[in-house]
This record gives sequence, structure tokens and C-alpha cells, in this order.
Amino acid sequence: MSSWLDYTINGLIVGNVYALVAVGLALIFGVSRLINFAQGSIYLVGAYIGWVAVVQLHTPLPLTIIVVAVAAAIVGLIIERFGLRPLQNSVRIAPLLATIGISFVLDQLVMLTFSPNPRALPSQLPDVRFQVGGGTIGPLDLLIAGVGLTSALLLFVFLRYSKLGWAVRATAQDRDAAMQMGVDVNRVNQAVFGIAAALGGVSGMLVGMYYNQIDTAMSLQATLKGVVAEVVGGAGNVPGAVIGSLLLGLVESYGVAVFGTSYRNLFAFLLLVVVLVLRPNGLFASARQAPPEPLTGTFIAPSRPVRIPRWMLLAASAIFAILPLFPVSFYVLQTLINAWLLGMLALSLTLVAGTIGQVSLGHAALLAIGAYTSALLSLTLNVPVGLAIIGGGLMSAALGTLLISPSFRLRGHYVSIATLAIGEIVSLVILNWESVTRGPIGISGIPPLSLFGYDLISPTAIYWFSFAVMVVLALLQGRLLTSHLGRSFRAIRDDDIAARAYGLSLNRYKSLAFIFGGFAAGVSGGIAAHLYSYINHETFNTQQSILALTVVILGGLGNVVGAMLGAVALVGLPEVFRIAAEYRILIYGIVLLLLVRFRPQGLLGTM
Amino acid sequence: MSNIDRRKLVKGSLAVMMAGATFSRGGLADTSEPILLGVSGPLTGPNAQYGTQWKQGFDLALDEIMAAGGINGRKLVYQFEDSQSDPRQSVAIAQKFVSDSRIVMELGDFSSPASMAASPIYQRGGLVQFGFTNSHPDFTKGGDFMWSTSVSQADEQPLLAAYAVKRLGLKKLAVLHLNTDWGRTSRDYFTNAAKEYGAEIVVTEGYIAEERDFRSTLVRVRDANPDGLILISYYSDGALIARQARQVGLKQVICAASSVYSPKFIELGGEAVEDVHVGTRYFPEDTRPEVQKFIAGFKKKYNGQEPDAFNAYSYDAMNMAAAVVKIGGTDRRAIRDAFTKVKDVSSVIFGSATFDVASRRVKGAMNAELVVRKGQFALWDGKPT
Repeated sequence: MSSWLDYTINGLIVGNVYALVAVGLALIFGVSRLINFAQGSIYLVGAYIGWVAVVQLHTPLPLTIIVVAVAAAIVGLIIERFGLRPLQNSVRIAPLLATIGISFVLDQLVMLTFSPNPRALPSQLPDVRFQVGGGTIGPLDLLIAGVGLTSALLLFVFLRYSKLGWAVRATAQDRDAAMQMGVDVNRVNQAVFGIAAALGGVSGMLVGMYYNQIDTAMSLQATLKGVVAEVVGGAGNVPGAVIGSLLLGLVESYGVAVFGTSYRNLFAFLLLVVVLVLRPNGLFASARQAPPEPLTGTFIAPSRPVRIPRWMLLAASAIFAILPLFPVSFYVLQTLINAWLLGMLALSLTLVAGTIGQVSLGHAALLAIGAYTSALLSLTLNVPVGLAIIGGGLMSAALGTLLISPSFRLRGHYVSIATLAIGEIVSLVILNWESVTRGPIGISGIPPLSLFGYDLISPTAIYWFSFAVMVVLALLQGRLLTSHLGRSFRAIRDDDIAARAYGLSLNRYKSLAFIFGGFAAGVSGGIAAHLYSYINHETFNTQQSILALTVVILGGLGNVVGAMLGAVALVGLPEVFRIAAEYRILIYGIVLLLLVRFRPQGLLGTM
Repeated sequence: MSNIDRRKLVKGSLAVMMAGATFSRGGLADTSEPILLGVSGPLTGPNAQYGTQWKQGFDLALDEIMAAGGINGRKLVYQFEDSQSDPRQSVAIAQKFVSDSRIVMELGDFSSPASMAASPIYQRGGLVQFGFTNSHPDFTKGGDFMWSTSVSQADEQPLLAAYAVKRLGLKKLAVLHLNTDWGRTSRDYFTNAAKEYGAEIVVTEGYIAEERDFRSTLVRVRDANPDGLILISYYSDGALIARQARQVGLKQVICAASSVYSPKFIELGGEAVEDVHVGTRYFPEDTRPEVQKFIAGFKKKYNGQEPDAFNAYSYDAMNMAAAVVKIGGTDRRAIRDAFTKVKDVSSVIFGSATFDVASRRVKGAMNAELVVRKGQFALWDGKPT
């Protein structure tokens, strides 16, 4: 029984750690309706500035906190001014994507400056420990809790009782109305970003001290957990973020207690999905809060798509089709094979995110389902590879739609967060369901691609095969979009209330879109499995989901040709920058930022 | 035969002819041209630290190889392509290396998904894929072009189990392991050996690489009441677990696999890793000349920095590559065959390394039983802690 006290205390302690990130995220979401994926990177920057202060400048703790807070706030202001303010009037998804780009740039700059080796960040508090239950609590635990709770309290007071706080809330409720009432919206945004960044930086430093360890890979995990905590609490609700964080910590801790360590994150993400399904605006969303998104055209830019003449498309397809007949290197072919595989994933995502408006951040899960299904069918049941891949596609379509269907009633950013969680859940199930997936050992010896008994092992053959599959899927999807069904999809995206009033069953149409999209993604995963011959739970990760989303935004939402173009560009760019070695992700991040800045509706525009 | 296969044959023979042409040019006319190795590994992304460590080991080995006159008078150099340890990128890199006739063999990649996804391409392309961190049991089953100096866990884990059970007298063990292919394989070899030596495994917990908080895991461990904790971890998570174990009041003996062996383990773990027992393949005070040469050289080249396990792997791998190329020349197939001929290569990890031709791995890693005393790794003096 005493152990339960310990689990509770441990859950609260780690919940405090999450709260430090979640509060900053909540503040920014409250004002800008933006999930700031760069918050984890500011946390990272704060940790390293803290390291410089403590280890090299030997600052005492209060001064360390001030130095970190100020430096991080400056970083936040720069992000707001140059990264996000120019995007104010563009599509909602553009700033979200920009924060992803900014996080690439910041992480990479820190890595280049400090090297990727982890460093020790010594705690500046005395190492005394108080006995509580079977374990102990130290001063740093208390400081972290203090910072989390105090900042939430101060922010609450600030928002409720100060003039700038009122302006912040007014802006959060209705930006245009606030502006008309004379609120300097830009100043409000700046203030919020500065405060959130200062908090984020200090939290990175404190957490670094808590673990006596900082490394350049810590930002993504921090963002993920922070986002989960924030959304559980009610996006934009600062005290809610703290409670959500504590709840998340407790659920994780009890999950470990009952089921063991390897299930830990599974419960974190399940909690998120359950909360979203039961209370789509989080546990503590106030009833009076304005609807989180405008009703129409949530993510869609008013843009005129670039119409590519049919002859040009035919010519481009012909050129790509006969490319292997020319003396091109296998490396180029392999890179293009990667592009075609990504293209199939992008087709899938552009349909669900672009055409029907359900932005997915967990799309790699569909690849994983397709890959595992196809690999297992061909390995254990000796199904011919061609059929196994189709089986993978069907399984992705069925399972993917089933898993994502609870999120159909969500809107706006909540859809992306729910899909992010589902992506993580699938990966963790693959890791833990050992009797089927072989767990962390993965599946090796997957037979190579083959068709009608002929093995396709040369890059040329694989190139033609994957290109042909992609073209067929693209043609089908193009046909789908010009049909009555496609128009219904777009109607749901543009105004779901009107569509429902007109008599369209939203869930049924969304399911149809996910079934087709799931099939395309599953086929892509299946081909990849046979191409690689070895897969495990890490083969298809969150990074791939983000990459797929980037491709779709880059090409233009809902735009089939754009998806192909985006896939070629985003597989090609990092290869082109290969000579830049350590700098290439930095360059990639900057290119992404510039694209979002100057072409937010995508290269070919939204359909 | 299908069209595709015929075209592949034509292409293949063209490639062979071209490779032959380059080789004869290189072999006869121009011996001043450097011999090029390809490296596929992470320089960016979450595993970037290991790529950086590889480079340090490679560069040190190459300095020494050059000082000793290079490969029969020719320079040995490497081309490091960043894969981020991502299978999509490692397959593209594999095609790049295979079709670049200057590359005589390949080293890497870091993780199993990235390495084993590229294996079929290296195998078909007839280029040796020399993985030196690839302990996945299936890695060398990818084909006769896959070779590895990564210590087989079948070799290492029973030694750790013997240290814990026989020498330290631990009878009830809690095993915490990284839930990856490496951690899982290691755990299985460890638990089998430990049971054979008469110990009982009272609790096993697998954690994912990104995990930072182990307090609740450790309460589970405490409730199982073991008399020793076994960490199958890397140094960063190993240090975290040790710190948090002490914080939640666990005072049991901690034993860790050689992968924690790094000065960073002590830096990150602080006082919490005092008295942690580590079974390792080398340590700085090992009097073997190859170890002393490596450590002295490393400190000199990198401003007094202490090398760790990954530095040693990459240093050994480059020396092995040089020894193989010396025998095999610059022909890819001859290089593969040279792996079966190379004998007793001086090695930090193995003392002297010779491949077991059947498994394409090296057997007989050196083992030292260390303990952390006063903030330093030291040979264990046999006294209980």
C-alpha cells in the first residue's frame, strides 16, 4: 500500500516537470490559437544557456534563472517577430509548420554549437533529501513544483487583473475586434511569446539540473509531453495546463505501477485520446469560451491553384517513366524510389488533410500497419509479395479508419493532436505486442519485392514498380476528386455545418476518405518493408509523419500533383544538401521556413 | 527471363566493366590516389552524438595508419554520409556507395533498422558492409558481404552475469534494459546465463530510449526486493537510473553492461554511480600496449578528452578496415575474401581480432571487471561494496 503513495508522489513530481512546458504552450495557444512546436526547442536553448551560466560563468542560482529567462525571452521575441508575425494573415497551418521549421533550426544551432554529446548540468541547490513515503524529495523537486504553480498563478492574475492581461484575453477571443478597440495586437503577441519563452527556457534549465543531464535530443520529447498535458487540461487554459500535467504524470506513474515500464507512454497517449473523445476541448475548457476555430475553411487558404496543363503532366510522367533507360546512377533512382514511396503517403495525407480537412500528425502509423501486415503475410503465411502488399493496404485502410474514427468529431488543432497520439499508440503497440510483431527485435528476412513470380531487386525494377503504383493511385485519386464524392469531401471541409444541413453524413464521408487514404499509405509501407527487408517499431516514426505533412503543405493541400512535387522536393533537398553534412538539417529548416513564409498555400496551391 | 532482369544484367556488366576500368587505372597508373571507404552514420538527428564519436575514433586510427606509411604507400580516407540513422536515407547512401567505384568498402550504419535496410543493396552490389555497432543477431545473416566487429551479446552478457552472480554473490536480480533490439537480445542472454549460475530474476523492466523518469519503475523494482540491479543501458540512461535509484532510496548493488563505460557515465551520474560495477572490454589502466597506445593517442589528439566505448569501436573498425584493405587491395570482392584471411589484428576491444568465418563476427572480447571508486573506473579489487 505504501508503494501507492510513492507512485503518487512520483507522478506528481514528473507532472510538475511536464507543467513547466505545458504552461508556456497554453499561454501561446490562448492568444494565437497556435500549437507552438518550437516550445521544446526553447526549452533546449534554456538548458544550454543554463549550462554556460552554471559551468562556465559560475553564476549563483537566482542569477542563473534570470540569465536564462532573459536570454530565452529574447529568442522567443525573435521567433515571434521574424518567424510568425509575417504569417499572421495566412492559413492557420502555416504558423504551425513554421514552428516546426524553427524547431529544426534551433535544435540544429544548439547541436552545432555544443556538440551532440550529453552534458552534465549540476544542480545548484544543496543535495538534502526529505523522506516521504518509501522515497525521498529534494529541494529541486520543490523548486520545480514552485515554479510551475507560481507561474500558473501569476499568469492567471496577470490575465485577470492587469491591463495587458485584458488585452491578451481580448485578443484571444477575437483578434479583429480587439484590434478595432485599439489593442496593439502585435505587442500582445510579443508579450505572450516573451513570457512563454522565458518560462520554457527556465524549465529546460531546471529539468536539466533535475536529471543532471542535458542533450540536444531532449526537445521533441518535451514538446510531445507538453502538448499532451496542455490539451488534456484544455488548450489555452493556463491553470488547466498545470492540472493536465499533474494528471498526465499520475496516469503514467500508475500505468507503470500496474502494467510495467514499457507501457508508460501508451497510457499517456491513451489518456489524451480518451479526454479528447469525451471532452473535445480538454477537461477544463470553459463553457463560455469562443469556439476554437472559425467554422469555415479552417486550414484552407483562399488561393487559386496552379493548373498544370495536361500535356505538361503527361510529358513529366513520360520523362520519369523512361528515366532508367538513360545512364542515371542507382543512387538517383533510389532517391526517387524514396520520393515515390513518400508520394503515396502524401497522396493519402493530402486527401484526408487537404480535401476533407482532417490534419493528421500520426500518418506514419498507417505506413507501419501496412508494412507489418505485408511483411507478416509474406513471411508467415507465404502469401505472394504482390498480394501481401495489397493486404497491407487493406489492413491500413480498415484499421487506420477504425483507429482514427473517434477523432472525427474533433475540429481544428485537436484533430492533429489526436492523430499524433494515435500514431504514438500504434508504434507502442507494435513495440509491446511481441507475439505478433516480435517487439523490439523487429522483423528481418522479409522477402524482396516480386510480381508474378519475378523478383524485383534491381533499383530499376523497383523504380518502375513504385512509380507505376504511385501513378495509378494518383490517377484514381484525381478521378475521385472530380467526382460527386470529391465535391462532397470539399463541402465538408469548407463548411461542415452547411454540409450536414444539406444532408451529408460527415462520419461516413470522412471514413471513406480515410479508407482510400489508408490504402495508399499502407501500400507505401508494404513496399518499403519488402525493399528494406528489415523493419522494427522505429522504422516509421513521428519524424515521417511530420515530413509527410510538410510535403502536403509544400505541394498545396488537396493537390494531387502538388503532393508528388512536394515528395520529390523534400526527398531531394536533403540529398542535394548532403555535401553540407552537419549543416544540412539547418539548411532544410531554413528552406522550409522560407517556403512557408512566401508560399503558404503551397507551391501549386490548394485545390 | 524478364526484360527487367535482362536490363539489369546489361547494366551490371557495364558497371563491372567500368569498375574494372577504374581499377586498372588506379592499380597501374596512379598509386598516389587515396583509397576511399564509405561511412554511413548519423551526424544529425537524435543519434548524432554517436556519429561524432565515430569520427574521433576514425581520425585517430587514420593518423596512425598514415604515420606508419599508409596502405602500401597509399592514403586511406573515408567519406562520411549522414544517414540520421534513418533507413530511407541509408538505402539511398548504399546505392550511392555501391555505384561509386572509388569506394572499396562501407562502414556502418549505427542502428539496426538503418543498417539492415541497406544490407540487401550492399549484398547485391557486392560491397562489404562492415558494421561495427551492429549487435542485432541477424545483421551478419544478411549475406556474405556483411561483417561485424560488434561484440556478440552471446559473448558479453554471460561474462556480466558471472561477475554479478559468481563474483559479487547476487542471488535475486532486477534487470532494467533498453527496449531496443540490442537491449532485448542482451537481456535474454544475460537472464539465461544468470539463471544457469543459480540466480533468480525477480523483475524485468524495459524502457524506451527517450525515457528520462524512472522513479515509478524503481518503486516496482524496490517492491520486488532484489539484492542487485542490472542495467543494460547506454551511459546516459544508465546514469539517470543510478541517480534516481539512490533518490528513491534503493541502496542495492548496481551492475551495468559495458555500454555504460564512458567518462560521461561518471560525469552525468555523479555520486550516485559510486560503487557501480561494470563489466567492460577495456579500461584505461589496462596495461595491454594496444589500449595504452589508443588512450594516449586519443588524449593527445583531443585535448585530454577521455575516450569511451564508441570511440574504441570506431578506432578498432578503422584499423580492421586498413588491415583488410592491405590484404585485399582495392577490389571489392577481394576485400570480402580478405576478411576471411585477416589474422590477429591489434584491437582495443579484442586484444587481437580474427573473424569467425561462419558467423562473420569476432569472438573473444577482452573482459575487465571494473567498479567506480572515488569518481573513477578502477579494477575491482574483489572486495564487496
